[in-house]
Amino acid sequence: MTLYLALKSAIMAILLAGAFYLFKTKVQRLFLIMQSVDGPGPGEPDRIKERMGVLFRDVLGQSNVRRKKMAGWAHTLIFFGFLAVQPHSLELMIRGVIPGFSVGHLLPGLYNFYLFTADILGFLVLAGFAYAAHRRFVTKPAYLTMGRDANLIILFTSVIIITFHLINACQVVSPYAAQGYDYSGVFPVSGIIVSIFGMAHLSADTQVFLFETFYFIHMLTILGFLIYIPGSKHLHLLAAAPNVFLKPLEREKAVQKTDIEDEDAESFGLGKINELNWYNVLNLYACTECGRCQEQCPADHTGKPLSPKAIVHDLKTDLFKWSDNILKGNKEEIDPIVGEGTEITPDIIWSCTTCRACEDICPVNIQHLDFILEARKYQVLMEAEFPVEMQDTFTNLENQGNPWGFSADTRGNWAKETGIPTMAENPHPDILWFVGSASSFDDRAVKISRALAELLKIAGVNVAILGEQEWGVGDTARRAGNEYLAQMMIMQNVEVLNECRPKRILTACPHTYNMLKNEYPEFGADFPVVHHSQYLLELVRQNRLILDERSLGTITFHDSCYLGRWNGIFDEPRELIAQMNRGQAPIEMKRTKDKGFCCGAGGARMFMEETLGNYINVDRAKEITATGADMVASACPYCITMLQDGLKECGSEIKVHDLAEIMHRKIKETH
Amino acid sequence: MSKTGVFIETTDQEIKQSVFGVISAAAAGGGEVTGFLLDGRADKYKDQLAACGVTELVALEAKDIDFSKSPQATGEALAKGATDFGISALLGVSSPTGNDVLARAAMALKAPLALDCMDVDFTANTVKKSHFSGKAVATLEMTGALFVCGIRPNSFEAVESPVTIKITPHTVEVENSDAIIVTEVQAADSSRKDLTEATVIISGGRPMASSDNFKILDECARKLDAVVGASRAAVDAGYAPHSMQVGQTGKIVSPKLYIGCGLSGSVQHFAGMKTSKVIVAINTDKDAPIFTKSDYGIIGDLFEVVPALTKELEKQG
Repeated sequence: MTLYLALKSAIMAILLAGAFYLFKTKVQRLFLIMQSVDGPGPGEPDRIKERMGVLFRDVLGQSNVRRKKMAGWAHTLIFFGFLAVQPHSLELMIRGVIPGFSVGHLLPGLYNFYLFTADILGFLVLAGFAYAAHRRFVTKPAYLTMGRDANLIILFTSVIIITFHLINACQVVSPYAAQGYDYSGVFPVSGIIVSIFGMAHLSADTQVFLFETFYFIHMLTILGFLIYIPGSKHLHLLAAAPNVFLKPLEREKAVQKTDIEDEDAESFGLGKINELNWYNVLNLYACTECGRCQEQCPADHTGKPLSPKAIVHDLKTDLFKWSDNILKGNKEEIDPIVGEGTEITPDIIWSCTTCRACEDICPVNIQHLDFILEARKYQVLMEAEFPVEMQDTFTNLENQGNPWGFSADTRGNWAKETGIPTMAENPHPDILWFVGSASSFDDRAVKISRALAELLKIAGVNVAILGEQEWGVGDTARRAGNEYLAQMMIMQNVEVLNECRPKRILTACPHTYNMLKNEYPEFGADFPVVHHSQYLLELVRQNRLILDERSLGTITFHDSCYLGRWNGIFDEPRELIAQMNRGQAPIEMKRTKDKGFCCGAGGARMFMEETLGNYINVDRAKEITATGADMVASACPYCITMLQDGLKECGSEIKVHDLAEIMHRKIKETH
Repeated sequence: MSKTGVFIETTDQEIKQSVFGVISAAAAGGGEVTGFLLDGRADKYKDQLAACGVTELVALEAKDIDFSKSPQATGEALAKGATDFGISALLGVSSPTGNDVLARAAMALKAPLALDCMDVDFTANTVKKSHFSGKAVATLEMTGALFVCGIRPNSFEAVESPVTIKITPHTVEVENSDAIIVTEVQAADSSRKDLTEATVIISGGRPMASSDNFKILDECARKLDAVVGASRAAVDAGYAPHSMQVGQTGKIVSPKLYIGCGLSGSVQHFAGMKTSKVIVAINTDKDAPIFTKSDYGIIGDLFEVVPALTKELEKQG
C-alpha cells in the first residue's frame, strides 16, 4: 500500500505538473496573440466600480444568459455546479501528491457545509446537462452549432461530475478514502448512491479499488479538460468573464473613428486578421457559439449568408491559422479576411443591416459590428469594392449631400409653405430642427415633416431649420464603409452647428438622431439632441398639445433599430401612442423592443438591392398583419418606407404612419 | 472651308441612333461633314446619312484587320482618316464604344480630347461639359489644329438637311496589334434595348400585377420606339427582370419622355429618372406623389389608358 501511495504521489505530481505546464503555455500564447495584434485597442478600463457591478450581475448573477429562459437556467446550474466542485477537485489533486493533506481537519464546520452544498450543486449540473443534451439531440435549434467539440465537452464534464459523486460515495463508506475524516451526512446526493448500490457492504479491498479507479478517471478527465479548453470554443470559460468586465458600459455607441489623415497609415479598416485590436481578440475568445446572435439576426433569418456567430467563428479560425505569423511578426504573408476562397465573403459583410440585435442579445457582450463595419471600411477605402448600387449613392452624397442626388440647394424647399423659418431668418430658436435627407427630399417622409411642422406651430415652439446649410448627416456613408466621405459630410455639418450653437436639436429621423448624439461629439459638435417621439411626448405632458379622448383603433408599434437598440428609446413612443389612444398601449409584436426585428433598411441597406434570401421587410410585414392591428406606427422614415412596401407586397391594407402624422391627424380633428 | 469628321458608330448593321444628332451638330457648325465608317456597309447607310448632311462617307479599310475586333485598330484608322482628309474636328457619340475608340484616335493624333460634351462650338474651338450633376457647366478651349470630341447621347436633335453624298473607299495602314482583341460580345439577358440610352421610356409599377401584363407596355413601346422599364416594386414582385429596373438601385435614365404607369413615385424611383425632360404619369390614385413630379398626369387605370394610347398611335401610323 505504501508503495502504491508513493507511486501514486509520483504519478500525480508528474501529471499535474505536465498538465498545468501545457495549460500555462497555451494560455500564455493566447495572451501573446492579444498583445501582438496591431489594431489600436481601447485604453485602460474606466469606471471599475460599475464594472465590478456588471461582473456580479452578469457573470455571478448570470442575468444576461438567462434572457433565454430554459437554456439560461441550464447554464446557471452548470456554471454554479462547476464553480462549486472546483475546491473539492483541487483538494483531491493535492491529496494525490501529499496523501495526508486535508482541509477537513483544519476547518471542519465550514468544510462540511461546503461539501454539502457542492454535492447538491454538482448534481444539478447533470440536470443542466440533461437539458443541454435534449437541445442538442432532440430539439436541435438551427442557430446552435452541432459539433464534436460541444458533445465532447458535455461528455467530459458529465464524467467529471459523475466521478465526483462516486468519489464522495466512496469517502462515506471507506475508511481508506475518508482518511479518518467523518464524511457521513455531508453528501446528500452521493449518500443516495451509497444506499442504492449498497456500497457499505462491499469488501474493503473493493472499496479501495473503486475509490482509486474513480479518482484517476476524475483526475485524468479534469486535466484533459484543462488542456483541451484553450484550443476549443470552451476558451469561453476563461475569456467570458474578462470580456463581460470590459464591455462597453453604454448601450449607445459610435462607429470607430478612423484617422483618415494619418499619412503613415498603410491601411484603413479591417483587411487582415492581424489588424484586430486586443479587445476584438478577447471578443473572439469569449464566444462559445451559443447562436443567440444568429437567432436574432434579420439577415440570417431571411436566408442571407450572414450569421454573426459564423463571422466570429471564422475570424477566430483565421486568427489561429495565422497566429504564428502574428507572433513572429512576419505579417506580410497573412491573407486578407475577405478574398478569394475565404469563409467570409463580400455577400456576408454587405448583408448586415447594422440593427445590433446580435450585440444586444450576446450574453458575453461581443461587439459584432466592430468587425463587420471595419471590414466594410477596408473594402471601400482600400479595395474600392462595394455593391455596385452604392456607386451612385456615394457620388450623390458627395455632390449633393443626399443619397438621391437632389440638388443640395433645394433641401429646405419642403418647408416653404409650413412657415418654419431657417436659422438665417430666426437666429435664436429654442429648438434647431435637423431635418435629415429622407425627411427633406422623400415625398413620403416630407409628409411627416409637414405634420411635425404643424404640431410645432400649434404648440408654439420657437424652432428653426438649417435649410440649405444642412448637409446629409453621414449615416449612410459611414455604415457603408465610406469613412472618408462620411467624415467630409460630418465636418461640414459640425462647422455649421458650431456656428449656430443650438440650445437643443430636434430630429424625426433615428439615424440622424444617432449620428448627432453619439457620433458627432467625437468630431467636435456636442449638443443636446431629442428625437421627435420624445419631444412630442414632452409637449403633451406640458399640455402644449392637447389630445382628445377618441380612440384610434388598435395600433402596433415597430421599433426602429437606431431608436431602440442603438439608443434605448423604447418607452417614449409607446407612451405617446397610449396618450393618443385613450391610454391604450400598442399591441406588441412577437419580436419587439430589444428583440425587435429590423425593417431591412439600416446600414445603408436602404440603397442596396436585396438579392439574397427573402425580403426582410416582408418578413416583418407578415408579423405586423399577424397582430390584427388597424395601424402600424413607427418613428423612422426608412422603416416607414420599408414597412409600407412590405405590407403592399403582402397585399395588406394596414396603414403605416409616423407618430407625428398620427398626432397631427388627431389634433387637426380636434381644432 | 473646314471639315468636320464624324465617327459613324454602328451596332448590328444599324447606325446608332444618337449618331444622327452628332451629324446635325457638325452640319450646323458650318463645315462639310465627313463620315468615317468602319463596318464596310457604306451603300446600306448612304441615304440615311445624306439625309442629315453627310457630304462624304469615307469607308475605311485595312488589310487583314477586322475593326469590330480591335478598338485600337479602329482608333488608329480613324486618326489616319482624319489626317488624310484634312479634318479639323473629329466627333463621335460618347457611348462606351465611342469613348473607347475616340480616346485611341486622339492618342494616335496627339490631339486634345473631351468626352461627354453637351455642346461644341467650331468657330471658337470650344466644348461644353456638365459638372457637379449639372450644377455647373465648364467651357473648355481645344487647342491645336485638330481636336477630338465625344458628344453625350441625346444632346442634339437630329435635323434633316439633305445633301448629295459621295462614297470614298479609303485603305489605311494600321498595325495589327493583338494587345486587345474582342473575342466575344455577350448581349444582356433581355432582348430589350438599353434603358440608359433610350429617348422614350414607358415604365410599369406594382399594379401591372403580372409579367404578362407588361405586354401592353411592350405594344405601346413599339409604337413610340420606346424602351420598357419597371419600378422596384414590380421587379421585386417578379413581374420584370432587374435589368429593367429604373431607380436608385437600378438604372439611372434621362430620356426625353418618361411615361410612368401605375408608379407611386417613391423617392428611390424618382432618383433614377428625375432628369427626364418630360414626365407623364398614369395612376388611379390622385394623391400619388408621382403627380407632384410629372409634367402631365392622367388619373386613370393604366389598363385602359395605355391600350387607348397604343390604339391612337396606331391610327396615326
